[in-house]
Amino acid sequence: MVRQAHQERNQQVTIMPPIIQFDHVSVSAHEKTILSDISFTLSSGEKAVLCGKSGSGKSSVLKTLLGLLPIKRGTVYFQQIPLTPASVQTIRSCAAYIGQEPMLGADNVRDALLLPFQFKAHRGHQPSEAQLIEVLQRLKLPADILKQQSSHISGGEKQRIALARGLLLGKTLYLLDEVTSALDAESKQAVFEVFSDPALTVLSVAHDPEWLERCSIIFELEAGRLIEVKRHGNT
Amino acid sequence: MATLDIQLPQMALLYGLCLLPVLLLWLIGLRLSRDIGISILRMTIQLALVGIYLKTLFELNHPWLNGLWILVMLIVADLSILRRAGLKARYFALATFTAIASSILFSTAYLVILVIQPTHYYDARYIVPLAGMILGNCLQGNVIALERFYSAVRKNENEYATFLMLGATRWEAVRPYFKEAIKAAINPTIAGMATMGLVSLPGMMTGQILGGSEPGLAVKYQIAIMICIFTSTTIASIINLKLSLAIAFNAYDVLRDDVIKKP
Repeated sequence: MVRQAHQERNQQVTIMPPIIQFDHVSVSAHEKTILSDISFTLSSGEKAVLCGKSGSGKSSVLKTLLGLLPIKRGTVYFQQIPLTPASVQTIRSCAAYIGQEPMLGADNVRDALLLPFQFKAHRGHQPSEAQLIEVLQRLKLPADILKQQSSHISGGEKQRIALARGLLLGKTLYLLDEVTSALDAESKQAVFEVFSDPALTVLSVAHDPEWLERCSIIFELEAGRLIEVKRHGNT
Repeated sequence: MATLDIQLPQMALLYGLCLLPVLLLWLIGLRLSRDIGISILRMTIQLALVGIYLKTLFELNHPWLNGLWILVMLIVADLSILRRAGLKARYFALATFTAIASSILFSTAYLVILVIQPTHYYDARYIVPLAGMILGNCLQGNVIALERFYSAVRKNENEYATFLMLGATRWEAVRPYFKEAIKAAINPTIAGMATMGLVSLPGMMTGQILGGSEPGLAVKYQIAIMICIFTSTTIASIINLKLSLAIAFNAYDVLRDDVIKKP
């Protein structure tokens, strides 16, 4: 039964239209080319990683997808809709961006987790105390961290709190920029477990071999160009 | 009781007072004589011209001429605010002008028409100095508001982007920096009101007392001007920042770097 459901889900993944598509995308800022002629697709539930030397444009792919960098040529599609000022809200509401040192944006951890629920888009969906603790436990964070000051939190904890915030918001797309580098083995395992959920799509930037091993698609970037796409695993 | 005139020989004597600080500065090794000389000369010429202009303005006392003078002051203030805040006038001149013009006209009109009630509401003796004083203080506030706000957005670029990613609208994402900037803009006026009369005698009151007014009357005018400065600074900074939001960000809510002057 379980196996059948799993197969069905896998089939759904393969026939599903891409959730993200870059179609010959070029990006430049301050007259310097950052990305040049990038094309790739990513389907719902896939876990992908961008690799390459520093300055090869890995993080810029994530930022372009979020509408933070100006697209010079080509089109970015999210759920098959071109990224425009009118549609950018859709991807921003579905995606969670987590960097190396995420901004918590509040004085203590509880306020940081509840911050997005002050905004009109999420007002009225505030999670209960039990939900807060449950999500922290999933990420191997103690419940008493809620009371801690944001300034006393380590980089790795901040990443997991930002991740918890994404989960509380029900985000399905995770854009992770060098996330595992600051995590110890146990926390890393917890993060891996969270992303084993087939409902979550991941586009990440990483060097960590263990993380690369778990991703089904590897995009190799060099000087703003996509030079190789490796697919493996079960997709 | 008219104020005693200062005759030319006495004016010369007055300038002579400057020799003392110049000598002291020279003795401690600060060679500032040139700068001091230029500053004193500029002050003299500029004020002499204003004196002639105001004399003509008061004699003619024509509503359009008075209005034109206020318009010129507003334009100069507009450009000065943007230059000092490090923003390009090409983009923001209209927004800043709208903000300061509406708030200055509102508070000056309120004060002159409803409170002071002179025979002619356009009387240069009232509107020119009052609008000028309110504008001068409003200018400081707007420079602080714009400068603080845009430095904060640039300094906290990542935090701002995080707010956007968490579902905030542009307005929701900038609100923390907006509130801080407005607070910084109006704080000097609030602090000024709290210490008024204790630390120093305010300029306008001193002027009126020298001009022969009763201290009681001078006090009332000082209160009037402080309330108008506070009102117009608050209104102008809020309108100014609000209007600038539509100009300084692109359609993806990212701060445009071409609207800010390179340091």
